[in-house]
Amino acid sequence: MTALPILIDTDPGVDDAAALLLALASPELDLRAVTAVAGNVPLDAVLANTGKILALAGRPDIPFHAGCAGPLVRDQVFGRHSGLGAFGPDLLPVTPVSPGPVHAVNAIARAALASADQEKRITICALGPLTNLALALVLDPLIAKGIERIVIMGGALAALGNRVPWADFNMLADPHAAATVFGSGVPIDLVPLDTTFQALVTDDHLRRLDEEAGAAGRCFADLFRASDRSDPARFGRPGGPVHDAVVVAWLLWPDLFSSASAAIGVEYAGRTKGYLFADFHGISDLPINARVLRAVEEEAFLDRLFERLSRLDTNASQVSRT
Amino acid sequence: MTPRKVVIDCDPGIDDAIGLLLAFGSPEIDVRGITVVSGNVPLGCSTRNTLQICELSGRVDMPVHPGCFRPLVRDPIRGLFSGSTGLGRLRLPAPSREPAGAHATDFLIDTIDAAIAADTTITLCSMGPLTNLGVVFRMRPDLVRGVDRLVMMGGAYREPGNRTPAAEFNMLADPHAAHIVFSSGLPITAIGLDASHQALSTPERVARIEAAAGPFSTVIGDLLRFWDRGDVDRFDGPGGPLHDPLVIAFLLRPDLFEARRARVFVEHESALALGQTVTDWYGQSGIEPNVDIVTKVDADAFYSMLAERLAGRVAIPGQ
Repeated sequence: MTALPILIDTDPGVDDAAALLLALASPELDLRAVTAVAGNVPLDAVLANTGKILALAGRPDIPFHAGCAGPLVRDQVFGRHSGLGAFGPDLLPVTPVSPGPVHAVNAIARAALASADQEKRITICALGPLTNLALALVLDPLIAKGIERIVIMGGALAALGNRVPWADFNMLADPHAAATVFGSGVPIDLVPLDTTFQALVTDDHLRRLDEEAGAAGRCFADLFRASDRSDPARFGRPGGPVHDAVVVAWLLWPDLFSSASAAIGVEYAGRTKGYLFADFHGISDLPINARVLRAVEEEAFLDRLFERLSRLDTNASQVSRT
Repeated sequence: MTPRKVVIDCDPGIDDAIGLLLAFGSPEIDVRGITVVSGNVPLGCSTRNTLQICELSGRVDMPVHPGCFRPLVRDPIRGLFSGSTGLGRLRLPAPSREPAGAHATDFLIDTIDAAIAADTTITLCSMGPLTNLGVVFRMRPDLVRGVDRLVMMGGAYREPGNRTPAAEFNMLADPHAAHIVFSSGLPITAIGLDASHQALSTPERVARIEAAAGPFSTVIGDLLRFWDRGDVDRFDGPGGPLHDPLVIAFLLRPDLFEARRARVFVEHESALALGQTVTDWYGQSGIEPNVDIVTKVDADAFYSMLAERLAGRVAIPGQ
């Protein structure tokens, strides 16, 4: 079986780091490029963090592209955990891995155009605000045709939002871009907060990394601890979600998920901009444009995730933890 | 004098076509390339029209770069006054060449980058929805320093709109791109309906242009007669507002125009007022002005110049 060609558009972000490391630890996936977008943290920090993650995984060879520094139209907002900013040298060593000269929007466009006539078209994992993707999709109608599907981490359907009551961060940060992507005609798989809240990483999982993992897995454990996402009052139990990793897990282990088709719409004007609605029952006349992941088998997902992170084939000896 | 280096972004469109012909007839400006956008007509159609207008002027050397095929966020709307092909009743031979390979946004980015590297600047002219420019300055906000000025047709500042009571067509067609451009820090001269409604293509003016155009008068006449709105009630007479050529005329003869600086906000959230250019004439917002809005045009002088510049600039189709 040949590996699935993917491109990851991302704004690391600790959970983005988990997604990137999981993809790099998985032979089933062929990570063709990483494109970066401002989101959780400003673009400079996103670029530094992405470079560090690729270095940590021993994959500085992966093409890596800087994208948009802010959303299409609205004022910029950053993530709730943006206090962490650039991953400090105490968490991840400084690396010379830096983005190439091609803009992320062009890199996405080229990847899509190049795969339009391939047997396996490119799958895009969208882990941040959708700014880069929206701009690529208005350039040329052939770009949408070259994308197999876009798996988006975003939306808060029945679950209330995380950054504001009506939206998850990615949809809130660039609702206009989201409207363009959901209206593009490209098949979309949506991973909303409703699903990512079902899988909580606990201290036990992190200790497993401390004990069993190579340097990459251990670094990730430290990163995750540094941005404590646990919220017992909200989740009713200890542990924090690892949102973006669920996107990659869906590509690897679809057997762990249940899903349903829906018509997805995005509010991009007014106070509730970033609100994303899903019509699962055909009560609107809107066309179905997405498959929504509704449930994940928590234990199996986390077990497989941390198994992969533990085994991540890293040049461990090169990673000095200062 | 060194000709001013410009890139023209357009969506021909009859008035765009006249604007291009005026640019080609003017040695003071050096058109480095034309970028095309979806607007009055779909992208394939506006690209074909641009190639045909270049050919009509014998400018088969002119790079024509197709750009964005749709607005950033909203669904496309089309112009109402340029006919189904975008060039009225004018039928021109199929273009003899293909458009350039590079996307309009890549061409714009490379051209501005090159200007910055050479420590010069470029002038941008916009005659259509601002999608291409919105993409460029969202991708690369740093490029603003390589542009000395954007001269753009769009907006309705003290005039009511033309496509809706609130909005002029180019703003309505991509209000989100317009918001990006107006917020980018670019020096902007806006030629809106306030200006173009002062410059009507009256039958007398069209007749003078046709007479000056000599053997090519039918081409120009076909375009301009189709442009007549026949809306005497609105415009106090026959003719149509010749929007886009004013962009080029402003570069050639800024002395024919009066402008006033103000802060302009593009409404992009409201259904009723989508695309409205809300203008802070009196500093109520406390935000720095961002646009020089053309308030007055010497229309007779503009039409005299147009007649002079179009004369002899058009090659007879098929010859």
